[in-house]
Amino acid sequence: MRLLSWPSITQLLLAPLAVASASDYNDYSENLLLKSLPGNSILASFRFVSNGTFDSHHSVFPRSLAQILQQSQTKELHLKFTLGRWDAEQWGRQVWDGRTAGGTGVELWAWVEAADDSEADARWTTLNNALSGLFCASLNFIDSTRTIRPVMSFQPAGHHSPERLERLHLLHGTLPREPVCTENLTPFLKLLPCKGKAGISSLLDGHRLFDAQWQSMSIDVKPVCEESGKCQLQMEQTVDMVLDVERSLGKKDSPVPKPPPIEQLSCDQEKPYAGGDSCFPLSGVTDLPWSLSEMFGRPVRGSCPLAVVPTEEATHVCVNIAEKRSIFVSQGSEERKRSPELRCFTLHENLDFDIVLPELSPSTNLLLTPPPVYASRSLTGHGQERGGIQAVLNNPSSNSTVEFVYLESLPWFMKPYLHTLSATISGKDDGNIIQDIYYRPALDRKRGTQLEVRLRVPPGETVLLNYEFDKAVLRYTEYPPDANRGFDIAPAIISILDSSSQKSTFSIRTTSLLLSLPTPDFSMPYNVIILTSTVMALAFGSIFNILVRRFVGADEVIGGSLVSKIRGHVMAFVAKKRRAGGDKPKTE
Amino acid sequence: MDRRSLTVIIATVVLRLVLFTAFPSLPNLLTNRVELSTPVTSFKRLQEGLFLYTHGLSPYDGGVFHQAPLLLAFFTTLPSNPIVVYLVYILSDVLSAYSLIQIAASGVSVSTPYHTSSRKSSTWPPWAVAAAFLFNPFSIATCIARPTIVFTNTVILTAIAKGVQGRGVAAVLALAMASYLSLYPVLLLPPMVLLAHDSLPAVKKKGRSLGSFAAVLTAVFTVAAAVLGALSWGITGGSWEFLASTYGVHLLLPDLTPNVGLWWYFFIEMFDSFREFFLCVFQLHLAVYLAGLCLRLRKQPLFVITTLLGISSIFKSYPSIGDTALYLSLLSLYRHIFPLMRYTFFVTSTLLYATLLGPAFYHLWIYAGSGNANFFYAITLVWSLAVTVLVSDAIFAVLRDEWETERPEMKGKEIVQI
Amino acid sequence: MAEKIGGVFDAFGLKTGKQKFEYTAAGGVYAGENVYAVLQAPRGDATEALVLCAAWVNTEGELNESGVALVLALARYLKRWSLWSKDIIFLITSDSRAGPQAWVDAYHDLHTPPAVASLPLKSGAIQGVVVVDYPTSRGFESLHIVYDGINGQLPNLDLINTAVRIASGQMGVRTTLQEMWSHDNQYKDRLRTMLRGMVNQGLGHASGPHSSFIPYHIDAITLQAYGDGWHDEVTLGRTVESLFRSLNNLLEHFHQSFFFYLLMAERRFVSIGTYLPSAMLIAVNFTIAAIGLWLKSGRLNDKEENKSSDGKASEGKNKLLESAGEVPSAAEQPDVVSEERPLLLSMAFVVATHFLGFMPLYLFNNLDEKNFTSAFYIFTLLNVILPPVLCAIFTKSFAPTALHFTLIKCFSLLLLGMFLSALATLNFSLSFLIGVFASPITFINPTPKRKWTVGAAWMALLQGLTPTTALVGVALYWGEPLSEILKEAAFGWRVWGMWTQVVVWCVWWPAWIIAGVLVAGSWAVEA
Repeated sequence: MRLLSWPSITQLLLAPLAVASASDYNDYSENLLLKSLPGNSILASFRFVSNGTFDSHHSVFPRSLAQILQQSQTKELHLKFTLGRWDAEQWGRQVWDGRTAGGTGVELWAWVEAADDSEADARWTTLNNALSGLFCASLNFIDSTRTIRPVMSFQPAGHHSPERLERLHLLHGTLPREPVCTENLTPFLKLLPCKGKAGISSLLDGHRLFDAQWQSMSIDVKPVCEESGKCQLQMEQTVDMVLDVERSLGKKDSPVPKPPPIEQLSCDQEKPYAGGDSCFPLSGVTDLPWSLSEMFGRPVRGSCPLAVVPTEEATHVCVNIAEKRSIFVSQGSEERKRSPELRCFTLHENLDFDIVLPELSPSTNLLLTPPPVYASRSLTGHGQERGGIQAVLNNPSSNSTVEFVYLESLPWFMKPYLHTLSATISGKDDGNIIQDIYYRPALDRKRGTQLEVRLRVPPGETVLLNYEFDKAVLRYTEYPPDANRGFDIAPAIISILDSSSQKSTFSIRTTSLLLSLPTPDFSMPYNVIILTSTVMALAFGSIFNILVRRFVGADEVIGGSLVSKIRGHVMAFVAKKRRAGGDKPKTE
Repeated sequence: MDRRSLTVIIATVVLRLVLFTAFPSLPNLLTNRVELSTPVTSFKRLQEGLFLYTHGLSPYDGGVFHQAPLLLAFFTTLPSNPIVVYLVYILSDVLSAYSLIQIAASGVSVSTPYHTSSRKSSTWPPWAVAAAFLFNPFSIATCIARPTIVFTNTVILTAIAKGVQGRGVAAVLALAMASYLSLYPVLLLPPMVLLAHDSLPAVKKKGRSLGSFAAVLTAVFTVAAAVLGALSWGITGGSWEFLASTYGVHLLLPDLTPNVGLWWYFFIEMFDSFREFFLCVFQLHLAVYLAGLCLRLRKQPLFVITTLLGISSIFKSYPSIGDTALYLSLLSLYRHIFPLMRYTFFVTSTLLYATLLGPAFYHLWIYAGSGNANFFYAITLVWSLAVTVLVSDAIFAVLRDEWETERPEMKGKEIVQI
Repeated sequence: MAEKIGGVFDAFGLKTGKQKFEYTAAGGVYAGENVYAVLQAPRGDATEALVLCAAWVNTEGELNESGVALVLALARYLKRWSLWSKDIIFLITSDSRAGPQAWVDAYHDLHTPPAVASLPLKSGAIQGVVVVDYPTSRGFESLHIVYDGINGQLPNLDLINTAVRIASGQMGVRTTLQEMWSHDNQYKDRLRTMLRGMVNQGLGHASGPHSSFIPYHIDAITLQAYGDGWHDEVTLGRTVESLFRSLNNLLEHFHQSFFFYLLMAERRFVSIGTYLPSAMLIAVNFTIAAIGLWLKSGRLNDKEENKSSDGKASEGKNKLLESAGEVPSAAEQPDVVSEERPLLLSMAFVVATHFLGFMPLYLFNNLDEKNFTSAFYIFTLLNVILPPVLCAIFTKSFAPTALHFTLIKCFSLLLLGMFLSALATLNFSLSFLIGVFASPITFINPTPKRKWTVGAAWMALLQGLTPTTALVGVALYWGEPLSEILKEAAFGWRVWGMWTQVVVWCVWWPAWIIAGVLVAGSWAVEA
């Protein structure tokens, strides 16, 4: 059985686009890839590509975005909205080499043309604010403390002239806390020529999309130039999601999950106690049946009329499943088989399109291609004073060394100690793991930490990257309303480098982290101000009281106040009493 | 130095070495205590600064390292062996003790040209003063935790030791160094000038008015500070970044890490619009005592210095136990006034209580999560209050001692202040 | 065990990890293997996690068959839901004492490899832990909620309240606390519940697998099925499911005020504002006594210094004394140096005694368990004769006066008061119990004149209040042999980081020794 690996599929799918972009300056294409993943999950990857120029009045390239890009002098833009985590151990390599997926929350990076850093910052702020309005996201919160300028991790994907490259500034910002939701999807769909009314985008429904195990929406804008020197902008919009078949189908029957009745359970009858009300369940043995309309709540509403005319190469929907699995499609579509495991279809403009896959038992999975690196990151230690971060980076390959850049963008209130940074393989550091470090420390309330570490992991080895940090205490106005929940730390970005060109070829994000900071008592400002001031006043008062007044013998005071007189009498009386009491033992 | 002083010093050196080496986790444990290490003195931050400095990054272009550049230069010349670092800190403590012995031996704490205490005979001998410093648990803990306040303390004590010997220029140079390391010792300049002037031998004093003497010393101080600044400029590769990152931090308190002082919680809870105002008030508050003390205690400039150190150990922006340890060790020179103090037992037990409850409450807030920040804040209040009472009580006792010297017949009698 | 259960988790499509651990304490080896699975929240991001735990063997040594089965069943059931915002970790530990500790240490990377292995798989910050303990396959009658953590730290009261509400309100299961199987919600039973809670808190040991989580600021409880009744696994499963849904909905940690409480019944508690004063009063008692002794020592000193001083001078002194407690120098003898109290000797004695406490601490934490009983008897014997012997040595070598003894008592009480008040904030019950046991020390008079009977009575009373007697008392209370208690203590010290014995040997025992020396001292001074 021949298996298709991810890169080859990517090439196959990208090939028609290159052809199209060369022939027409103002075009649009869309396609959907469905891939079955182990554990009864399905990856659905939507991809929409529009080409156009700023000045064309009848372009498929959205004017709203074009104006923003022009205004902020942004030459290349990458915006990602992601929710959940890609489970590489179960699902293997990410689609599109991880180019289209960001870290949890919102991630934005752009190449801005500017003469110097401050101008770049100003344009970056303009860009953030404009995009924030366009996408209903809190992108305007990407301020200087959340912006970094990566040095090793990113390279421009578009074609830029060398003179322009000199003037381009790369800025990168993340909002790990941003919950991605329907209000971000709607403006996303509005950028499409068919606005989600026809074509594969009609499947994109908020209820289904945001019930996915993992989902990512991305927009990448870059200039594409021909050899003749003609350039245009290419916008690539993708929506990738992983759907759990069992859960999606379960929704159909009842919105609240209930335990299945005992008749429906598949029990292991070989167990001695089987029967009656005892059951040892058998599970995960079949590939569940599903159809597009069940998974997405509706079928595809025909093809988008604005998309390029499908050819032998350019198809609308591709399904990547095990060869054994049969597939039924609705009328009016044409199948174009690429390989036994990749079956593609073109849609008719006015006919609904649906795919039905029947149940298959026993389950057959596609062979997974592992990612270049398995990465996980966790906090170590406990308490709100300090902690550590541990990244576990495993190279699954059995023969090739992998080299990559590990990028951390930390908020300023997390203060890492670079001298504690260590990379070890099974407890040892041979000095060869860390190749290069770029470090830009945080400045309180001004900028965050940027740490880029270039690492080399030998085949089959696991590297532990550790460092310690201190947690700062913030002013009480700087805490969010749910201060005791903690602060989200942006995912680390791992860019796999090509060994020859040192360019990023694949990227992976770790999960984000929850950092709990020490919190003050938010109800106390007045009390604290009053108490502290009292102590200071007390010190000031008592010291100056002693300093400025003169000493006089108590008996020299003429006509002392009544109080002092009484006090004197009382003291004398007490002293007398005590002397009498104290004398007693002496007489014994 | 007599044999007893030597014995004390050797005993404490051995004790510190044992603590450093027999409990390998102890130095790092103490380094991480907020009571001992502040953002401007922490040894861990110093290590980070050194790491960045030796790797060609500016340690001042970041929010972690806020210590003087000369420390970087000094520590880069040291071998990276931890034992060497331990020895440097122990040596620093020994030098402090040596200065204390010199100060105690000079007898300035009991007799100055203008005042000689009638209780002269009840002072502690130099070795006992050194022991009071070296065996003080606060000093020991500070030494083991290795904050750079240890060096500041040594330089301040050296300055005083030079001052009591009448070597004004040396004293002021040392003071410039101390101010360079941690800013606040600059407040000690006026009493230091007075101390040096008072301690001048009578021969030299003739024809040198206090005014001209002060002018010369102030000029020396300024030049020394400028030279140190220029040196630092050179060390940091020709950049003035370090000014904002060291003294700016002392002045503006951007880092609100808890410590034993009063500032951190106050400025966490402060409303943003009043922040600058209260920063000014807090800084001026420290300077306010200077004139009053210098005038009223003109006869005993050494006590003015002691008191100012006590006050700044409470009210400076990043105080630590090390500051209090310095004050207590200088106070031990004034053994003869202890009987005149009214609240010694109260202060001692309050300080002990705060010492125990502070870590407990900090644990409840930071680790157990069952207490909140107010717990630890309350303890810092109590601590500050106790030291305040101690400082004012000591002033009272010294003034009374002066007064009794004037009027010996009033000894032991009850007095009032009018 | 781990292989099999790991296989079951794997079959559910969960990520599975295993962890081996091995501790040695008091000569015994405690080894095992934990197995756990992570249910990743859909759309979640591994920032927060909840733990559902069952120990293979519960604290009583019984096989937790239904508990483990329930966790497995719930793992399968909860996986089908899409509402989880936090990851759920299903943890099966091989025992109830060392296993959870090894796991939670490794989870925070604070373990000591290679004795405790690192975790291959982690999730986010743990927000809550529920342990299921259901060792029979029969139905149960009530749910016993166990909540004490190590060193007397408690989980947030809201977690217990949630469990109680869900169990009794929704499921109709009776809940019990502190092994009070029948509770009539009257004064007597409430008091008994509270006292049992205080003893458990004071001892500071782990009362269930959940205890190890609490020092990490993770709220944790154990749900124990108790008795014979008609409730079955489904009831317990629904309770746990409900509890998890409640925890899942938490946006922040539980609010921080509710960590200090003493439970009297499942819906009644005493809050810190009410109970802390009692412990503080006991601690303050020592401090006040110390202040009183300090003032008294000033007078004693006076007498010894100048017995012949005239009335006027001493009157002046006493006046000052009244306001300050420090005696000014004698007016007639301006050059007298020795008007100060002889602090150094007394202070050194008190400090030395406290350091002496490290000896039994080291001894009982490092002995082999076989020698515990004999070592304990020898130590008890030594303990009886130690105060008189110490006193004899002290009087022989330093010839102390009554003043010395007063000062020794003063410093000892001051230290005891300080330690107990600091301890009251950390572990109220321990501080309270030690305070009650030590309170007679305040009333020991160092100089009873020729009344040896009083001295003997004091000595007898003190012998009844030693830490060793308390240890025997604890052994009787639990109905376990002494060596078991000592083994538990040594195990707690090594594995759990329990510091009850530090308090006993370095705070209480020295105070007791000093009290003994004071009593013996009154004979010695007289002789």
